[in-house]
Amino acid sequence: MRFTIVIILAFLIGAAVFAEIGQTERRLLRADPDALTADPDLRRFAVRRGQPLFLVHCAVCHGAAGAGDRIKGVPDLTDGDWLYGGGRVADIERIIEYGIRFRHPKTWSLAVMPAYGQPQPNPADPNIHPLAPGQIDDLIEFLLRQQGREANAAAASRGAALYAGDAGCYDCHALDAKGDAAIGAPNLTDAVSLYGDGSREALFLSIAQGRQGVCPAWIMTLSAAGIRETAFYVYSISHREGFHAD
Amino acid sequence: MPTDHEQVKAGSWRDPLQVNRRSFALMALGAIIGLSLAGYSLFTVRGVSSLSVPAEDVALVNQQPISRSDFLALLQTLYGVDLSHATPEQRRQVLNDMIREELFVQRGKELDLASVDPEVRSALVNAVELEISESAITAQPSEATLRDFYAQHPERYVAEGIMNVRDWLFPVDELPRLAGSQEALKATVTTPDVLVRLHGRDSGKTIGDEFYFAARIHLGEQLFAIARELPEGAASSPITLSDGIHVLYMVKNTQPARLDFAKAYPKVLTDYRNRAIEQLKAGDESFLRKRANVRIADDLR
Repeated sequence: MRFTIVIILAFLIGAAVFAEIGQTERRLLRADPDALTADPDLRRFAVRRGQPLFLVHCAVCHGAAGAGDRIKGVPDLTDGDWLYGGGRVADIERIIEYGIRFRHPKTWSLAVMPAYGQPQPNPADPNIHPLAPGQIDDLIEFLLRQQGREANAAAASRGAALYAGDAGCYDCHALDAKGDAAIGAPNLTDAVSLYGDGSREALFLSIAQGRQGVCPAWIMTLSAAGIRETAFYVYSISHREGFHAD
Repeated sequence: MPTDHEQVKAGSWRDPLQVNRRSFALMALGAIIGLSLAGYSLFTVRGVSSLSVPAEDVALVNQQPISRSDFLALLQTLYGVDLSHATPEQRRQVLNDMIREELFVQRGKELDLASVDPEVRSALVNAVELEISESAITAQPSEATLRDFYAQHPERYVAEGIMNVRDWLFPVDELPRLAGSQEALKATVTTPDVLVRLHGRDSGKTIGDEFYFAARIHLGEQLFAIARELPEGAASSPITLSDGIHVLYMVKNTQPARLDFAKAYPKVLTDYRNRAIEQLKAGDESFLRKRANVRIADDLR
């Protein structure tokens, strides 16, 4: 009899814990994700549950610490620099749900970096024409100047004209070269480099070969709560200064 | 010596009455756990009909969920606000729009628009292709797998060659005076006075450094094939074409070079995934064809 009571008690405790988790997940899902960062209980809950999901699904590319890999063009999630959106939980959640260039109808896929060293830089846009190697060199000097680095002045001036003219770079990266997070066009004036070390050679490769990284959509794999928890975890590692799980 | 009472107590596990009670209790417990899990799964799994709106959704329209995440995204897109800053009117408007869309989608399904509307058909094909390719995109191949792929397709991972070639054009009747050694030809095309004397001029087909693909377009296949083999500082033999005699002088020739694995990595990954997607699509198409009953008109067999 005692054994039966123990079993029933264990079951009831398990059910209570299960119900409590379910209840908290519902609270987590129904709340405004961006307002939740101020709720310590939900924050702790989400971060604790999001970490293992991140390790299983995201760490394979972004690394266990989320630091990314510049050789592979995998963004660093800890540096506070956001390529898509502004780094709000809702933005991160959207990326986890539908991915980037994932062929999902709701995926974030408004722009690709054309391969200016190819006969057809962007097969989807025949109005984008290739550049000559010298023109790419000029653009690189312009970008280096914008980053406050040493650059050839004459080449940088030619590059500036190209940037705002025939090459059409301004169309995505904006006239001030500060990018556009709405379409995932990176800021070209900061020190953050997604591909390579920011050297002339790495920049040449990016402009000549183009870039179009992919992030999978997890909507068909993770639950809604799992996606939000993972988004919270990513938010937490990108805001280490002002955001603590404990 | 244990008393009778103690003996009975010690052997109580053999007591049929108690064993039956325990069996029933365990069976009941098992049933409760099973039913609880089934009930939980039944009412919480994605896409299942329910009387209450699941936490991840903002509404159910004929049991079809409207995702909360989509609601937040639309709120942000239309009004540039998050949920806590949206006015009740903004929330209502977005929700109404989404419900309206869902109702029209459902009506579209009732009308079987997929059978007549090319855009709907195209969207359905894309959606099914996505479904098929999901596992290929989501799976992260190991580095060894990618290295194998990279090694199997060396021609794909090459930096485009760059050349700076001058194309000098001479009248056909100057051919006898152009004959001579490579060194003599080089001297001819690099000495302005000689060029003038032989009526040579730049054809204007090339301008400074060019990628190989651009030089091929500008020079044409015949001249490009000769140019790409020229080392820096060398001149070609005279080439007679319909417009005159061409002599190519190579200022700079950077041959296409194989990209190392690290530099080629993003492209290798994309190519590998694309191949996996194509294989999955082909497999699925083959499966669909196998199970389908397709009859083709006599005249098209």
